[in-house]
Amino acid sequence: MTTHDPALGSSAPSPEAPDEQLPDAASALDIIRAQRAAVRDGFEPDTRVLFGVWGVSWLVGNLVLYSTARSTPDHTPAGWSFAIYFALLAAAIAVTIVHVIRRSVGVAGPSSTSGAMFGWAWTIGFIGVFLVMTGLTNAGANPEIVNLGWSSLSCLLVGVLYLAGGALWQSRVLYVLGGWIVLVGGASTLAGLPGSFLVMALAGGGGMLLGALASHVREYRDAR
Amino acid sequence: MTEAELDPVIHSQARLRVVATLATFPAGDRIAFTKLQQLLDMTPGNLSTHLRKLEEAGYVDVVKSFQGRTPVTHLSLTSRGRLAFEEYAAAVTKLLGGSS
Repeated sequence: MTTHDPALGSSAPSPEAPDEQLPDAASALDIIRAQRAAVRDGFEPDTRVLFGVWGVSWLVGNLVLYSTARSTPDHTPAGWSFAIYFALLAAAIAVTIVHVIRRSVGVAGPSSTSGAMFGWAWTIGFIGVFLVMTGLTNAGANPEIVNLGWSSLSCLLVGVLYLAGGALWQSRVLYVLGGWIVLVGGASTLAGLPGSFLVMALAGGGGMLLGALASHVREYRDAR
Repeated sequence: MTEAELDPVIHSQARLRVVATLATFPAGDRIAFTKLQQLLDMTPGNLSTHLRKLEEAGYVDVVKSFQGRTPVTHLSLTSRGRLAFEEYAAAVTKLLGGSS
């Protein structure tokens, strides 16, 4: 015992001595920063995952629709291409829900409640789209209107939900992407068939993949 | 202001990590013991020891409940604990800035 730090005097010696080391001011700040980052990485939805999954789903799904619609006389896509489109859409929704739920495990309270409500909003929203389109089809809407309706309403819903998510997690990237999807979805109907699928694939899916890239670059920069 | 004047309850490597982690969540959120342990990479015994000290100081609220038949412990910072952490963080920043 050659040195005596007066700071140690106030805290009683305890059995778990190694953890009782008192950090100096600089390492204390480092600890605070590191824990904040650890919590953010472990809990907040990873925008790269969400953008990536939705980007691939839309790019591939809409390109398939476009390529089959181009070769038919009335510009409606083949049935099997819709199967691929909806399978990709369902996969993207499933990944989103699982990702958000897995991240919120272990937390109870306001954050997890908003996370769960946000997750359910997707399912409820798509049921609404399904009902509207079924109604329009039953009312005698022609195939072009039905096709444009499905893709633009889905776009509108996903975009608005991203806007809501951006507001919820105060994420500008998510918010900007949501706005982009809403506008692309709306504008794609102006292109008519089959051009609307191409607009959705490139501007919609491509835009989301650019969003994934932008958010990856930001993560990488923050991590340094 | 010197390092000796910093809140002794928080001014320890392990407890600072615990408090900083809990403070990152918005007020009202409760974190499961196992999730906290995973975030901190601490042994259950070690984490319990530090949580007890924080609870005695009135900084951490411990709620035990059951999820089905499994007992779960949820932890959150009390408003007093959150205030103490904010004051600690401000004091440390001031110390580094050289002004006292």
